[in-house]
Amino acid sequence: MLLYLTKRLLLAVAIVVLAVTLLFVMIHSVPGDPASVVLGPRATPEQKALIHEKMGLDEPLPMQIALFFGDAAQGNMGTDVFTQRPVRDIVFGELPYTIVLILTSITWASLVGIPLGCYSAVRRNSFVDKIIGVLSVSMIAIPSFVMAVYALLIFAVLLGWLPAIGSGNGGFWDGVQHLILPAFAVGVGWVGYISRIVRASMLEVLGESHVRMARSFGLPERRIIVRYALRLAILPTVTVLGVGMAHLLSAAVFAEVVFARPGLGALIVHAVDTRNYPVVMGTVLVTTALFVISTTLADLVNAVLDPRVREGL
Amino acid sequence: MKSKKGLSLDRRRFLQSSIATAAGVMAYGSSLSQLIWAAEGKVLRVRSYADINKLDPGFYQNAYNVDVMNCIYSKLLNYKPGTDWATELQAAESVEQLDPTHIRFKLRPGIMFTGGYGEMTAEDVKFSFERVIEQNSPMQDDWGPLDHVEVEDKYTGVIVLSKPFVPIWNVSLPYGVGHIVSKQAVLEATKDGGDFGMKPPCFSGPYVLAEWRPNQAVILKRNPQWSGPKPGFDEIHILPIDDPKTAETAYRAGDIDFTHVSLSSLKELKSDTPPDTVVEDRPSLYYIYVGMNMEHPKLQDINVRRAVQWAINVPQLLEVGYFGQAEVATGMVAPGLVGHREKALVPPEGDLDKARQFLQQAGAEGLTLRIDVLNESKFTTMAQMIQAQLGQIGITLEVDVHDPGSFWTIGMESEGERWKDMQLILQRFSMVPDPFYATTFFTCEQVGNWNWERFCNERFDKLNAQAMTVQDEQKRTEMYQEMQDIMEDSGGYRFLTHEASPFIYRESVMTPGTRPDGRPLYRYFEPA
Repeated sequence: MLLYLTKRLLLAVAIVVLAVTLLFVMIHSVPGDPASVVLGPRATPEQKALIHEKMGLDEPLPMQIALFFGDAAQGNMGTDVFTQRPVRDIVFGELPYTIVLILTSITWASLVGIPLGCYSAVRRNSFVDKIIGVLSVSMIAIPSFVMAVYALLIFAVLLGWLPAIGSGNGGFWDGVQHLILPAFAVGVGWVGYISRIVRASMLEVLGESHVRMARSFGLPERRIIVRYALRLAILPTVTVLGVGMAHLLSAAVFAEVVFARPGLGALIVHAVDTRNYPVVMGTVLVTTALFVISTTLADLVNAVLDPRVREGL
Repeated sequence: MKSKKGLSLDRRRFLQSSIATAAGVMAYGSSLSQLIWAAEGKVLRVRSYADINKLDPGFYQNAYNVDVMNCIYSKLLNYKPGTDWATELQAAESVEQLDPTHIRFKLRPGIMFTGGYGEMTAEDVKFSFERVIEQNSPMQDDWGPLDHVEVEDKYTGVIVLSKPFVPIWNVSLPYGVGHIVSKQAVLEATKDGGDFGMKPPCFSGPYVLAEWRPNQAVILKRNPQWSGPKPGFDEIHILPIDDPKTAETAYRAGDIDFTHVSLSSLKELKSDTPPDTVVEDRPSLYYIYVGMNMEHPKLQDINVRRAVQWAINVPQLLEVGYFGQAEVATGMVAPGLVGHREKALVPPEGDLDKARQFLQQAGAEGLTLRIDVLNESKFTTMAQMIQAQLGQIGITLEVDVHDPGSFWTIGMESEGERWKDMQLILQRFSMVPDPFYATTFFTCEQVGNWNWERFCNERFDKLNAQAMTVQDEQKRTEMYQEMQDIMEDSGGYRFLTHEASPFIYRESVMTPGTRPDGRPLYRYFEPA
């Protein structure tokens, strides 16, 4: 296990370095100059050159990459070209909002999607199974953006039950209230997705010999489903959720824009538009790390849940 | 086996830990937002289209920063709220023009800086104005030919210009660089008097910056040391909401009480106005035009450029781009400003026959051109309409859409070679209430910097230099009108619109105080 963890850690570092390097090259390949954006139309070439020097943009690209990783290793992600605030403070200031949004979305989606998938598998081809199937596919098919806009119009504007924008400012429950609509919009597609995966896995597992054996021993059906079938059937879902972190981060971008919430998504979109390179790099470094951590965690969870995986490590 | 045991984690414990971690993270995230909004008093909740990123007036960038500066600092003059452009005294008891290069001011006594930095004096005014030049601020052009400020006594000083500069009354004094900071406080904070960025060392306006939560809210509270007229609201909460549609939804949901709205929503808002809401439609100062790179081989012949000018039907463009809610522009200078033209040389509808004739004269039938546009739907839609319009005279137009980072450097020589291949551009520039701000960007000196059309005209440059110094308003108007004629006559420009600046507000909450172009002056907002 320790060897496995070490390997995964090294792989994670390699992935982060590769992804960030690729992005570094990409953002420096497209046209655009942060100095022009920062200084505005009346800046002189000398003033722009000064900004380039400050940001290290006058160095060759490989040197810039090396400097970035050197600084990042010491916890320094650079400085925001507009506000002169440390990028580390900015990114880690926004990160909790995105993580909370993602975790809430995926949690409620799992809490609804897994039982739905289970029920569909157990009641295979029943009327309810078909209804759940149609609903699940619909949830996957409707773009989250559309869902977000309509949820906003119905629950915030028409009914006035929930706040429309922001992340809250009046304590825990206020924060929860501000989280409901964005989390609903981000998670709704995942409900359908998870229920479909769980259903398919469950159908496969329910036909396996250990389940048939449990039934022949006369164990209660509920116990068989939850303890013997779902435990294995959940594994593909866990893997998908781990990999799905990247998709959730993308979904968080639109949610943060539509609901005017703080977070990494909104931060990176604005930073790319303004060629705020240090913020783009800092955010990507953190999101890539998040992705790698989540996939590694998914693998570890699989190992915890499935002894066969554990034995293979 | 040992290592396995050491790292073993049973499923129950794992699930318990996971739930606890998730709850912890959620609680942490929420606790970040547990900030007191102190909504006991009168709170003004408004939307800004972007979050603040610079609070040093000497280095100000963007109007949304100045909106906040207006509240937390004082200046000699300010724009008078209303529908006509005018200024009024703010921190000054008097401001008088002694001669074309000397302006005497006298401060109101008793304007205090917060943080124990004492009373505002003429020495602070001198420091605030001169540091913009001395520190080589990118905004130093706003001060034009400022030479120095002479301090006569504690409250009185004379602004000395090296040559006359009329925009000082319309831009320098009442806008960004005109805000006065404490010399002692800034020197203590920055050592050399340079840019203090987002950390104002003290305040001198009716409000102080109580809290800035990046990308969430700017919270201003009453300045307890403010001795001037009491502002209407106890607190101002400025929420940065980038997307206008989101802002409109937030307004309808009751999260904000004042916001600018998109032109695409204006018609609906006027016909189906939300309860308790007033819709105001103000003319904007922005100028939007189609520019042509006159040095590009395909556009060097003035007849080709004129063909494009005459083929473009402006009202049609405005119908698709702005849903018919924006007026046709006659030039760069908006109505209500000195130098505004009553009409353009080319009629708004153009003339396809005339356009074809010009194209024929150039021998350029079957020409293919490209237009670069910003990735906003109004621009891409208008570009498609231009594509159709030019198609009617046999010009094939390709549309290239760019994100802001890419778009705003297309014509800059310092940013590579793209300027050489720039052909047509759908351009939008912001503006302040003086025509010099627009024309300055189209001089020969600006070619390859912001003059992407590479328009260069000796007479234009001469007029531009003179018009800044002419005190006579009529004469100045004529000069700026001639300059716009010259630009249009070059064939390089087809002026489209100044857009519009509609906003909505809840009348049971406030009476807003705005500039004529709808720009909010929050300190003059009054509770209903």
